[in-house]
Parts: sequence; structure tokens; C-alpha cells
Amino acid sequence: MQETNTEKNLVDLLGKKINRQLLYYLDTCARCSICKDACHQYVVTGDIKYIPAYRAELLRRIYKRYFTPAGKTIPFLYEAKEIDEKLLDELSRVTYACTGCRRCMVYCPFAIDTTWILSTAKALLNSAGKTPQILVELTNAAIEKGKSIDLFKEIILDTLKEMEKELKEKVNDANATIPVDKKEVEILYVALAGKHTILPAGIIFHQAKANWTLSLFEASNYAYFLGDPQRAKIIADRIIEEAKRLRVKEIVVSECGHAYRVFKHFYQLWSGEKLPFWVRSIVEVIYEYLKEGRIKISKEQINEPITYHDPCQLGRNGGIFEEPRYILRSLSSDFREINPNRERNWCCGGGGGLVANPDFEELRIKTGEIKAKQITESGAKTVVSACENCRLQISSLNEKYNLGIKVTSVSELVAENLS
Amino acid sequence: MDWLSFILAGLFTYLAVSVFLLGTIYRLCKWWKVSPARMELGYFPKPKKGLSRFWQVLRDSFLYPQAREVAPGIWSFAIIFHFALFAIFIGHLRLLAEFTPLMKILGEEGMHRFSFLSGGTAGIILLVCLVYFLVRRFKLPYKEISVPEDYLLLLLLLLITIMGLHLRFIADIPVENYRAYLHSLFRFKPEFTPTLAVFKRSFVLHKFFVNLLLIYFPFSKLFHFVGTFFLNKVRNE
Repeated sequence: MQETNTEKNLVDLLGKKINRQLLYYLDTCARCSICKDACHQYVVTGDIKYIPAYRAELLRRIYKRYFTPAGKTIPFLYEAKEIDEKLLDELSRVTYACTGCRRCMVYCPFAIDTTWILSTAKALLNSAGKTPQILVELTNAAIEKGKSIDLFKEIILDTLKEMEKELKEKVNDANATIPVDKKEVEILYVALAGKHTILPAGIIFHQAKANWTLSLFEASNYAYFLGDPQRAKIIADRIIEEAKRLRVKEIVVSECGHAYRVFKHFYQLWSGEKLPFWVRSIVEVIYEYLKEGRIKISKEQINEPITYHDPCQLGRNGGIFEEPRYILRSLSSDFREINPNRERNWCCGGGGGLVANPDFEELRIKTGEIKAKQITESGAKTVVSACENCRLQISSLNEKYNLGIKVTSVSELVAENLS
Repeated sequence: MDWLSFILAGLFTYLAVSVFLLGTIYRLCKWWKVSPARMELGYFPKPKKGLSRFWQVLRDSFLYPQAREVAPGIWSFAIIFHFALFAIFIGHLRLLAEFTPLMKILGEEGMHRFSFLSGGTAGIILLVCLVYFLVRRFKLPYKEISVPEDYLLLLLLLLITIMGLHLRFIADIPVENYRAYLHSLFRFKPEFTPTLAVFKRSFVLHKFFVNLLLIYFPFSKLFHFVGTFFLNKVRNE
């Protein structure tokens, strides 16, 4: 590195980012490489740099060099390395290629969370400016929107008026609304940019007679993928502030994996604050409505085989496994599991913001091969997933691998089949 | 005891044990000094708090059954290796004090035959596993992941095992001789019995490599021996 100042800053930053779990992870790995067979990117490409232990090893080398007496004294023994341009470039490539699915953690004898290690790497990469440009731009755009919401509000409301018309037709009720800025309601529903995440929820909320309001902001948080907690918090704050201002009982996140975790787990990590409201996924809410009989679906409407792809962030990392299965089993008499499933499910290949990043398009389509094979083997004709990233990726796979399937979300499928 | 044995199997032992203990304390303090992240990092589904989580943590630490699903080969070798290591550790306790109840059942001759067979078998298993681990490290992709530390540790363990096997099969010294040596260490007057002195070369080497391993242990990845329990607790919470 030309400027030793930069090196010093990065080392200081790493020092600040160290927490107990990270130390456990960095000190314990035995480099047994059992994780290699758990990572879809390594399994498909056979490229060593995608082995989880190797990705983590790049940060471990820096850690050993600056933070351990043994690594400082005999760096050769650990291949401990000083931070330089080349190391940072390689670290950037392997870190931002990781989909953050945490499948390697399941199979690791020590349950080393490679994603947690790489989130520390991301902090360094942000500071060194070694980040994917597209994620930076999307982050900036989201923050801009938060600052000047009054400018955007008009446009948003116009779009929603159009959508509301459609809702009225669909539910056959002239009083049906898509409420915005409604105070003291039960639910603040946080959707994504796109009708497919708003209208079906509106239909379901209407039948359940839910007391809800729609957030003016979309759930997605590109700063989370970027690994910049400060800015990720700013983006999430827009919605947290809105929820506090409207005094809602809970935030319900649309079918989006990382957004669910941002509100459910990460926001409290970033802010140190305990939220005064619940956070749930719309899938959990639909499940509750079905159980309580607040919505009714036409039983077994779908005759073709149907399957559910567990989004990593919602399943393994969020704990939602059974709710979507219950819903889909109610809709179809031919629900099939893909194998392996639940916490052992393979990542679709599109997580970690890869879907948004053209630089990784080739990798993500190629490494989606496992998912495509799983789907084909299941024989399912409809693939449901409760995550936008997964759906976009599986749709790409559908096209590239000629799967001949329909890809949809839980809420869309439920909204289509309400009775 | 000649001066070289006195240094390598005497003085050096005190140094090694001290470094091992202090190093372990240093390593644990280093971990506990840093506060944990305000987030549970375990994945779902998680066991219920209390006893069922405790069992799960023990099961995952000792058997790591998940690893078997993706890597049955290395898993089998690792499990066999660790159990053999444990058996050898238990066997070595006989060098401190006689396993009197077992001795009563088996008799003197039977006890010797038992330790010869069980110790010998465990040692050979260890040797086979270590060779497997070493050969594996020279193959791609493992070669790319490995760092000199990995080879160094395997080499040390191999040397210890080879010397141990030599003592077991070739020297086959009556246990009292080792016990006398160990007790002399506790009295801070290290000495060999005449019988042990005959085989001092392999014994001193065995002891010397063990000392090196003890010194390096707290600064190496071998600390996973302790780390695994903390980490598998993190897995399940």
C-alpha cells in the first residue's frame, strides 16, 4: 500500500470491529475444508477462492499479522500478510461474491459463520473504497429518497391510486383502499418496489379486515449487502421512524429475505435499541389469518406439483420454515419438497445482492445449476419462494436452464386463490 | 540423567507446561476481554434453552454429525483420530498412577497385555490418520488452503506418535519406569531409572516433541480443542 496511513486506518478499523464471536471464528478454524462441499459456488465452479475457509482465510491473514503475537513474530507460519492493494482486491472479489447464505456454517464442525467474518471484511473494503459500484449507487439512491420524500410522495401516491383502482375491482368492493400514513394501525406493511408485492397483500389484508397502512419506503436495503452498517441503518431508519410516528403495533415485511432480517435482527445490532413494535414476515401473518379463519382459500386449487424454496435469510437465518409449507399444503394437494430443504437447502445463487450486480451475473447463473437440478428433480411446476432475490434468480434459472416452471410468491398465490 | 536429557526431558518440560498454562489463560482472556456482538449468530432451527441445548452443544462438539453428510471421508478419519487421541490420553494417565481396579481384574500380566494392545492399536490408528491428513494437505484444493502451521502441527504429531510407537512396541519398558520419571519431575529432581536410560534416545525425543507441541498449542489452531465448545454454543443460540 502506497500510503501507510491507509494501512493504519484499516488496521484500526479492524481492531474496532473485533467482537468475541469473530475472535472465536478467526482463532479456531482448522482449515479442514469440510465447508467446501457446502458452498454452491465452490461445488459448481471448483474454484478454490470460493471455498468458505479460503475466503475467511484472507481476513484471517490480516488479523494474524496485526493482532496476534505469534503472527507478528512468525508471520510465515500463518501466511500472515500485511494489508496491500492485491490482498484487498482479492478479498473484495471473494467477499462480494458470497451470497451470505450461511450454509457452510451448518456443516462446519465449529459452525464458523463465514458471512460474519466477511461482514467484517466488508467494513474494511468500504473504508478502502473496494466496493461494487452498483451497490454504492443503489445505497445512495435510497438515502436520497429518504431525505427528499416530499418530492417523491406525489409520484408514489399517484401510482398507489392506480393500484387501488385495481384492488377495488379485484375484491369487488368500492371502499377497498391501500392506506398510506394512517396512524395507530396494527400493521405497517413494508413492500418492495413493484405492484406484485403490494396488490396481493392489499387483497389479503382486505379480506382479513386488517387495520394496516403501507410504508412509503421499500424494504430492500442495499447498504446491508454493501456491508456499511451506518448507511444501512440510515436506510432502515426511514421505516423505523415511520413506524414510530404512526405508532403501529408491528412492522410486516413483504417477502424479502434480507429485509426481514434487517428489521428482525440487524437493526437492533446496529442501533442497540429495542424496537417498540413487533417485526414479522407477511408469510407469518398469512399463516395466522389462515389458522384463525380470517381469510379463506379455495382448497386444493392447484393441481400441478408445487414446491417451496426456503430463502436462506428467512429459513436457516430467520427460522421461518413451517408457515409457508402449511399455506402451500392448503393450496395444493401435490406439495413436494426439494432435497435437501429447510436449514440444509442450497442457496439459489442470487443472494447477497448478486442479483443486482451485473458483474456477478455469469457466476450466479452458473452456480444456480444446483438449484435448477433440485427443482427439476422435484418435478414441481410451480416454485414458490418468499424472497424477491430468490424469485428473480429462479426466474433467470427458469429461462437459462429451460425449467418450464412458474415462479411466484406466497402472497401472490394466496391472493389468486382466495375464496 | 545426562545433561542433554536433563535439558530436553527435564528443564524443558517445566518451561513447556508453564507456557502451555499461561498461553491458555492468555488466549481465554483475550476472548473474554472482548465483548460479544449483540446478536445471536446461531442458525435455525434452534434447540430449546436448557438441557436440550446443552446436549445439542455436546453432541455437535464431540460428533459434529452435520459434517458427515457432506464429507464422510474426512469426517470418519477425524472422528477416529480424535477418539484414538482421547484413548491415548487416558492410557497415559496410567503413567501417573496405576489403574488399580482394572489391575485387580486383569492381573499384572493381563494388564500389560491390555495396555500393549490398546495403546498399540490407538497409536497405529493415530499414525494412519496423521499420514492421511498430511497426504490430504498436499492435494488440491486442500494444498491451497493450507498454511505452514498445518504441516508443522502434523509433523510434530507424527514425530510424537512415531516415538511413542517405538517406546510401545520396541522398548516396551515396564510402566514403573515412566511413573518413577514422572514422579521425579514432580519432585523437581528429574531422573531416569536404569531401564529407561537404555531407551533414553526415543524417550527424550518423544518428550521433547510433546514439549514443543505444548508450547505451540495455545498459539495454534489446536486451540479448537477449547474453542469448539464455545463455538457450538454459538451455533445453537
